[in-house]
Amino acid sequence: MTGRFASIASRMDGLYEFDREPVAPGKLQSGGKFAGLFAGEHVAATEFVIGAFFVLHGVTARDLFSGLLLGNLLAVLSWTFICAPIAVRTRLTLYWYLRKIAGPGLTIVYNLANAVLYCILAGAMIAVSATAVGLAFGIKTPALGAVLPSSLSWVLLTIVIGALFTALAILGFERLSRFAEVCSPWIFIVFVAGGLAVLPRLGVRPGFGNFWEIATTKIWNGLPVSGQDKFGLWHVVFFAWFCNLAMHVGLSDMAVLRYARKWTYGLYSAFGMYPGHMLAWICSGIMVAGVGREMNPGLMAYEALGLAGVAGLLLAGWTTANPTLYRAGLALQTITPGWPRWKVTLAAGAITSVLSCFPVFFVKLLDYVAIYGLVLMPIGAVVFAEHWLFPRLGIEQYSAEKRNWAFNRAALGVWAGTLTACFLMPIHLYFRWLPGYLLALVSYVILSLGRKN
Amino acid sequence: MRKKILAVLSLACLAGCLAAPVLHFLGKLSLEGNKRLFLAASVGWFVLAPLWARRR
Repeated sequence: MTGRFASIASRMDGLYEFDREPVAPGKLQSGGKFAGLFAGEHVAATEFVIGAFFVLHGVTARDLFSGLLLGNLLAVLSWTFICAPIAVRTRLTLYWYLRKIAGPGLTIVYNLANAVLYCILAGAMIAVSATAVGLAFGIKTPALGAVLPSSLSWVLLTIVIGALFTALAILGFERLSRFAEVCSPWIFIVFVAGGLAVLPRLGVRPGFGNFWEIATTKIWNGLPVSGQDKFGLWHVVFFAWFCNLAMHVGLSDMAVLRYARKWTYGLYSAFGMYPGHMLAWICSGIMVAGVGREMNPGLMAYEALGLAGVAGLLLAGWTTANPTLYRAGLALQTITPGWPRWKVTLAAGAITSVLSCFPVFFVKLLDYVAIYGLVLMPIGAVVFAEHWLFPRLGIEQYSAEKRNWAFNRAALGVWAGTLTACFLMPIHLYFRWLPGYLLALVSYVILSLGRKN
Repeated sequence: MRKKILAVLSLACLAGCLAAPVLHFLGKLSLEGNKRLFLAASVGWFVLAPLWARRR
């Protein structure tokens, strides 16, 4: 390992030192904690946009309901059968397990990729929150096809909100996290209440007698708005499945599930998926139909619930951007030797605020979520192969650790090769990760056959 | 005991947040009334919930 890499790797190890050891049996958590954790984590500001986009993409009501049922089930099963068993057997975070498998050099690259992706995600949350504040100042929400900032006022607004979120993250991440716990059930109520409040405007009568008729004609009527692709059942199924791809198939939720008593605790992810990624998406779809299919989360929240709705959108953006900024800062700290925590958070916040000015990350959020999962997915395949397939095939495990490699070249090759193959696949972006995952699994095994015992 | 009272009151506020749109949906409250009731119940939740959540 070269001196520079060794130094970066050692600094990075120091940052993650607190979770270096496998979780002790006395620190395992109950199922209820996991239910609460998943439920709180999957109701974010971005749900306002995702559910609304399904309406704009012309999804029919039948496709939406059946697609969300099936897609979220597949996501829950991915947590349960892919992520949780490895987390429970190793009791390690992905960081430390990947270090054994891929070497510290590749772990640094993975961390930096994660930091950039986190910054973009937090930027999208800031942009969503900006639509709420912009409403009060008459600042127009960017058009659906917008890539660059549409006006100086939009730039100023996102920068100010980004600076505010960053300042709050610097002032006290721990205290804000506790406040976020109080916000979490209320934000979920904002979605449900918003959807309910808009139903009479759309013509739904008390008792829900004509709900399906209104749903199929006025909300999810199968007609995409101008400039948006038409989505069908499988787009919805795959989106719901890969929405948290980096967490389940990509294995980053090993950090959480290593505290589970049993691998079946992965099933508790259903407490996040069905209220957050089904009910909240349905409600935001109803809300966008209530404002004439205009993609303006601020307006959607205000029309349904007034000032409290706007506050809900702002808080949803802030409470999810806050931990995202923290994680981005933690990942960035590897390349900023000796920087204190506040300085790194400031740097992550500055990058995020600049990114939030560009509406492309907000108006193309669905595509970004797909790319986010796709970029990190091959690493999940590498770890899965090494953990489950290598012992069965008689291939040596953890060679990077045993032979002191900075980079596991096979893992690096599989990561780069899979992403290239996914980029070239002549199918819709949403469907590329699954063949990509299988390709990564098979190619990593083939490239590692030389290490057969 | 005080913690329990605070918890019950804050949960009642959360229920109030949900009651506002339900009443509007049932035609018993105007849209403006729904917005006002939701705001009031939300303020109640944010005032009361941290008091008992912090004591947990």
